[in-house]
Amino acid sequence: MPNRDEVARLTDHAQIEGLADELLPALIAKLGATGLAELEVREGDWKVRLRRSADASTAGPRAPSGRGAKPAPGQAGHGDHAHSAGADVAHGPYRLAATSPAVGIFHPRPEISSGSRVRTGDRIGSVDVLGITQEVVAPVNGIVGAGLVESGDAVEYGQQLVWIELISTPVERTGRDA
Amino acid sequence: MFSKILIANRGEIAVRILRACRTLGVEAVVAYSEADRESLAVQQADEAICIGPADAKRSYLLAPAVISAAIVSGCDAIHPGYGFLSEDEGFAEVVRAHRLTFIGPPPQVLERFASKEATRRLLGAHGLATIPGSNGMLRDDLHGLEEAQRIGYPVLIKPSAGGGGKGMRMVRTPRELEAALKICRSEARAAFGDDSLYLEKWLDDNRHVEVQVAVDRFGHGVHLGERDCSVQRRHQKFLEEAPTPALGDAARKELAERALKAVVAAGYENVGTLEFLVDPVGNAYFIEINCRIQVEHPVTEMLTGIDLVVTQIRIAAGEPLGFSQADVSVRGHALEFRINAEDSRHDFRPSTGVVERYVAPGGPGVRVDSHLFTGYEVPSFYDSLLGKVIVWGPDRPTAIARSLVALDELVVDGVVTNIAIHQALLRNEIFLAGQMTTNFVDRVGSAAFLAAAAR
Repeated sequence: MPNRDEVARLTDHAQIEGLADELLPALIAKLGATGLAELEVREGDWKVRLRRSADASTAGPRAPSGRGAKPAPGQAGHGDHAHSAGADVAHGPYRLAATSPAVGIFHPRPEISSGSRVRTGDRIGSVDVLGITQEVVAPVNGIVGAGLVESGDAVEYGQQLVWIELISTPVERTGRDA
Repeated sequence: MFSKILIANRGEIAVRILRACRTLGVEAVVAYSEADRESLAVQQADEAICIGPADAKRSYLLAPAVISAAIVSGCDAIHPGYGFLSEDEGFAEVVRAHRLTFIGPPPQVLERFASKEATRRLLGAHGLATIPGSNGMLRDDLHGLEEAQRIGYPVLIKPSAGGGGKGMRMVRTPRELEAALKICRSEARAAFGDDSLYLEKWLDDNRHVEVQVAVDRFGHGVHLGERDCSVQRRHQKFLEEAPTPALGDAARKELAERALKAVVAAGYENVGTLEFLVDPVGNAYFIEINCRIQVEHPVTEMLTGIDLVVTQIRIAAGEPLGFSQADVSVRGHALEFRINAEDSRHDFRPSTGVVERYVAPGGPGVRVDSHLFTGYEVPSFYDSLLGKVIVWGPDRPTAIARSLVALDELVVDGVVTNIAIHQALLRNEIFLAGQMTTNFVDRVGSAAFLAAAAR
């Protein structure tokens, strides 16, 4: 039997999911349609703030590098901010790329295809490194979009592999009564 | 010859290996970590491939990442440079298992020379005098105390693996030994993943002289003379030169010939360096072998005109050396100054930052091996070497005079460097007289050098 804290936690999770699935897409659309830089919404104990990245309107998807290709000098290549949550918005506010965890050969999961709905951490493929499989996971809740590499392609560490179209985030959860 | 080489290193040596590949007409792929995305080697490379994050344990030291990068980019050989995986016989073995060539000695040769203590015995059996030391690895502190007592203090604690002065301590009493063993063990474990230690008799006022050799697969070898690396700070070399002022011409030749004969007999292959301590009366004791290209290799290149990295790649590809001892001539005098991102005025603590302005020196006999450029951000994750200024002259005084000009011309703004300590050394009487020993900087103290040079 879950204790009171557990119940509270589960309730919180339900609320977060509600926000993620219903409220946020609407808010993102609203923010996108207006020239506003920031939106804040309160609901019950929760507050959600959306902030448009300064360069979000100009940062389109980056061209993926091919096999062993090098980035042009002075220009950041693919995946350079892949592990930095703060920089994720630089890839555009509506989608994030799943990146390669290692240098090796990429294989998407057969049951995952464009349009599949995924949650943060879901396995969407793998990279084979000398016969050892490393998982490629969705960086965010969303819908699988365009693939940037083909199955069997050589990929490098941090390379962008598959777009995930956002249905939540980027948001800044400021928490209860923050 | 190989068709494509993966360069599994960074900094100035990645640039140096890239040059050698181009000289040979071989394609090269630079493997880099996220911290080196903007590095000179990556910019200059025909191809570059990111192998992991900044942390070297997850990139430059991660064997599967390096080998996978070589395979997916279509390379047939891996050049490990120095440091990182360059002397890891396990890595060399896995490289071979994936049908790639490790550019360096073959795995079975690396394995034979992997333990410093066993190598000392092996080359001792082939005619090289060695320093009295512990009988094998130290089993525990008590064994260390017994062995030190037998050898006689002072003794030097040395780790069996690795190099670069890490895990090394000189101690003069049993009490110092007990304390230092713990420190050395943890340093060695952190740096090399192996904490086995041994002891050597410490010679006060010794010189560090090393012999460069190159041996092909067919057992044909040459020596390329010696280098003097006596200028050290806490066992870290920072200025090297050749010929050594410690020995006369006949003694230098004799040492190099004896070293070559021993390693060829012991089955060594590829380029390598045998390090010796030379006592005040000129006796040379073998201490260790480095089975890789060394930081200070350009000193020898300046004197002989032989490209050591090209030679290393050719030997690894199974080619015969193509020249004999009679073809090797040593001409003039050369000095190498390691330019490090460290603050010589504040106990040589490492510095980082953006290079706001970089101007390389030039002129007759001046060579710069560096990965610096204006705007380069020195990352904090790796060693502090920013490059090397190598200066040649027909004789030592001319080489020193040219060096003073070159170091004066060198501009590295935005990052604190150790240039000042080099300039101070070039005005030091002991150095000018060619009488430096491995302890002379530490004994006088770097602060005193700098103060004396400030004039």
